[in-house]
Amino acid sequence: MRSVIPAVMATAIMATATLPAGQQRTVTLPPETAVYVASDLPGYQLVQKNCVGCHSAHYVAMQPPGSGRTWWDATVKKMKKPFGAPFPDEDIAFMVDYLVKTYGAERVTTPGGRNVAPPRGPSTR
Amino acid sequence: MQTRRTFLRQAAALSAGGILANRAFDALAGGQGRVTLPFENGTRELVAFPQKRPLIVLTSRPPQLETPFAVFNEGLLTPNDAFFVRYHWSGLPLSIDPATYRLRVTGKVDTTLELSLDALRQIAPPVEIVAVNQCSGNSRGHFTPRVNGGQLSNGAMGNARWTGVPLKAVLDKAGVQRGAVQVSFNGLDQPPLGDGPDFVKALDIDHARDGEVMLAWQMNGAELPFLNGYPLRLVVPGYFGTYWIKHVSEIQVLDSSFQGFWMASAYRIPDNECACVEPGTSPATTRPIGRFTVRSFITSLADDARIQVNRETVVRGIAFDGGQGIAEVAFSHNGGGTWLAARLGASHGRYSFHEWTARFTPTQKGALQLKVRATSRSGETQPLTPHWNPPGYMRNVVETVKVVAV
Repeated sequence: MRSVIPAVMATAIMATATLPAGQQRTVTLPPETAVYVASDLPGYQLVQKNCVGCHSAHYVAMQPPGSGRTWWDATVKKMKKPFGAPFPDEDIAFMVDYLVKTYGAERVTTPGGRNVAPPRGPSTR
Repeated sequence: MQTRRTFLRQAAALSAGGILANRAFDALAGGQGRVTLPFENGTRELVAFPQKRPLIVLTSRPPQLETPFAVFNEGLLTPNDAFFVRYHWSGLPLSIDPATYRLRVTGKVDTTLELSLDALRQIAPPVEIVAVNQCSGNSRGHFTPRVNGGQLSNGAMGNARWTGVPLKAVLDKAGVQRGAVQVSFNGLDQPPLGDGPDFVKALDIDHARDGEVMLAWQMNGAELPFLNGYPLRLVVPGYFGTYWIKHVSEIQVLDSSFQGFWMASAYRIPDNECACVEPGTSPATTRPIGRFTVRSFITSLADDARIQVNRETVVRGIAFDGGQGIAEVAFSHNGGGTWLAARLGASHGRYSFHEWTARFTPTQKGALQLKVRATSRSGETQPLTPHWNPPGYMRNVVETVKVVAV
């Protein structure tokens, strides 16, 4: 239940919460570890050009492996509009093809494996 | 998992930073291991972000970090360094000077305010509330059929004691004008490039002025961790975390319903009582997500735990809801065949995790399905089969932990 703090305690909170000028808080985020799975598909080069500017590859890698082409297509288009990613329309089909074949329902899998690269694509994970 | 040495190193780093003019919160080097969440494609790294112990990395940029579930058995308040993190855009602030930080209050008000943190604290005596914050998509990874989005297990929630000033006092200071309908909230995070929609959320004016919605600068008696919204975040007790704007910098009183993307297109649920549809289908109409549904968890035992046959086991856990408070918790040791009333611990308020304990003695060896089901003071209870919706929000099915009596 919400409770009003007794006056004495409130004073203490305010005293500790009042900061001297110039006590800037700065964070340094850890280095990024996720990378896109390498592939000979042309979309591999395009996602590195068009996606990594805004978010880590985790967004792609964590999706349910059954995600189909329709969903990947809608999602890539959503990144452009309304989310504002400035890639050309002609890149979309190639990116979708790479994503669904590498992470989605059309991927090449091994039993129990995940994010397995298509043939000839050396894994960089 | 975190080692003691890691913790001490981090603690030392934080205390050393405290005497410097510029407090730099660095990430600890390297990964701290992996966990596998209990659904397909659930392997995750554990990494210590600034001011955080190693947490489950959903995405590193922007940071989205899930609390390892074992933390919820450590106490009813979730430690600040274990509290989950969720951002929408990678254009988050990385450096904030509290001396120059300003909160603007604009729109349908008599007086536009531009408040320093000190000025904000002087508006009203500070208040405290213990309240759960939970991501709308907490537990999304457990949906069947699976849905896309952040593939979270059950750790995108936390319970903290928040200290701040009532939003009502700030709005009263500005003087809300007649005709106000909603209040929108914006923080310092923003889209990294292009014209993507800034993350802005809105509450109805009566909700914003209910005296419970708060602008908080502390959690659990310490300043907000940077990644939880330093130096100021909105606290909306009983409501999903999407409304709890971090680094809040602009409050706008509106004379119409806010139509930004994150209210009008995202964070919407089926507009029916269960907020659910037949799996695989789409709702005809939707509404903005709101209050939590009632949930409960076993925290003292995880899947595959071993317990002693013919010896009493005390099972412990947590329950919470959207603000009615927990009336009762039922526990089953036989997959829902029979239920017994759990004992409720002391209340920390109707927005807090509520501890429960149940005792039982397994009388034969073998697998057991433990279940827990909470009921709120308004009679809302958890469904025995999961509700489903396309965005994967508001999961609150009765949870099952599978243990073995040996």
